[in-house]
Amino acid sequence: MSDMTTSSSGWAPNANGARRRRMDRLATLLGMVAAGILVLVLTSILWTLLSRGITGLSAAAIMKPMGPPGSGGGLANAILGSLIQTFLALLIATPLGLGCGIYLSEYGNRQNRFASCVRFVSDVLMSVPSILVGLFVYQILVAPFGHFSAFAGSVALAILAVPIIVRTTEDMLRLVPIAMREAGAALGATRWRVTLFLCLRSAKTGVLTGILLALARVSGETAPLLFTSLGNQNWSFSLNRPMASLPVTIYQYAGASYEDWVQLAWAGALLVTMGVLAINIAVRLSARRG
Amino acid sequence: MTETKPQVALAVRNLNFYYGQNHALHDINIDFPARKVTAMIGPSGCGKSTLLRIFNRMYDLYPGQRATGEVLFDGRNILETGLDLNILRARIGMVFQKPTPFPMSIYDNIAFGVRLHERLNKADMDARVQDVLTRVALWNEVRDRLNAPAAGLSGGQQQRLCIARSIATRPEVLLLDEPTSALDPISTARIEELLDELKEEFTIAIVTHNMQQAARCADQVAFFYMGRLIEVDTADRIFTNPRQQQTQDYITGRFG
Repeated sequence: MSDMTTSSSGWAPNANGARRRRMDRLATLLGMVAAGILVLVLTSILWTLLSRGITGLSAAAIMKPMGPPGSGGGLANAILGSLIQTFLALLIATPLGLGCGIYLSEYGNRQNRFASCVRFVSDVLMSVPSILVGLFVYQILVAPFGHFSAFAGSVALAILAVPIIVRTTEDMLRLVPIAMREAGAALGATRWRVTLFLCLRSAKTGVLTGILLALARVSGETAPLLFTSLGNQNWSFSLNRPMASLPVTIYQYAGASYEDWVQLAWAGALLVTMGVLAINIAVRLSARRG
Repeated sequence: MTETKPQVALAVRNLNFYYGQNHALHDINIDFPARKVTAMIGPSGCGKSTLLRIFNRMYDLYPGQRATGEVLFDGRNILETGLDLNILRARIGMVFQKPTPFPMSIYDNIAFGVRLHERLNKADMDARVQDVLTRVALWNEVRDRLNAPAAGLSGGQQQRLCIARSIATRPEVLLLDEPTSALDPISTARIEELLDELKEEFTIAIVTHNMQQAARCADQVAFFYMGRLIEVDTADRIFTNPRQQQTQDYITGRFG
């Protein structure tokens, strides 16, 4: 220790230090390049989407239903179909996902085998290719009834949404301090009251965020709808019949050889993207407020 | 010191406590006199908080923790299986080390506990809220924002709210687990003053690491060491002339 204070060369630059500084600069540079590429790709996608989509995005495109090529059709029935199906999917997925997330967080500790199984299955479900979910729902809700239906489409979307809601609900509830649960119990509150009125309430923002993220995730899904709600050229309000949706319409129109259909596919893609963007902004705002 | 033998609120008899295999409390025998403050002191891990959490059966939340022996409260052994824990916890309230305001308004923080046990009309509930907030000296600070979220209060205010919340269910015993260790000296002083008033109505058991606090607030002091009750006596006696060498060493800061 003592020669350190007396050493005259203690502050002299050494080779090691120079190398470390070079490595540091290199690492920073690599990180910036990676970030730059990512931003470039994203803006390129958004720019293409915006420049191609905005021309097709007329009042007619939003107000009029789909029609044959050259007839001046729009996307109105697909927009409404998407709204109905995603809303119904959330209606199915939210109670299931919340209940399951609450169970895993409040009752499913690590020693609980059943809870571990549920958690594992839910996580696997999150990464299952969505087309498989479509096929599965086809087998149980389309094939036996002999026809495609909007309801089947909603169920397929719900299956994709549930694991996202389960995971965020469990994670958010686990963030609620034990002290909150003890304080509730110490007043003589039963467990379900503590869970519902104290824990869920303090995790409210996070749980809501999970539901919105699930909404954003399923609103752009195409594959699970292909064999379930199929798509429809006309207005349809029946859950028991095929229903149009934006992603499926984009899929059908984008590859068509009619100029106006391709134009509508771009407009539809822009609509879906703006919808997802709006949801994400809502998530941010709610997270900040909470 | 005490001329007449005070009435006993909680009587602990041959109490042993286990965290799984870990024997945390050994043969504890102690009485908590009614409407007096009993302070429990001792180094970290000595079992004083563990004892406190037995009185409202908090340990029931955690599998693997168990108690043997007796804790007599109002003629019943509260360790009995089949005892209604929610009634027990309404009669024996608890305030924790860190303030834990519920994610709701100041008003609802108090009403939450009351609603669990009583059906009050709006006027009676308003009166109860005002009463307990007045008693913890918080009413004047929050009367204009009863509907504001409790999380917006300062730490000291939050802790007084937690005390108000506990006494709102009209318990007979109040358990305080280091209630001021997260607070600044001014907030601490206010809570200590509060204890002096509260003991006219409640039996108070307080765990504290703060020796001056125990000396200032307590009528009776119990010194714990390594899961055993070393000595229990009046505060005067413990702090001036303890019987046990270990107590003497601890209060003079020679170990712990």
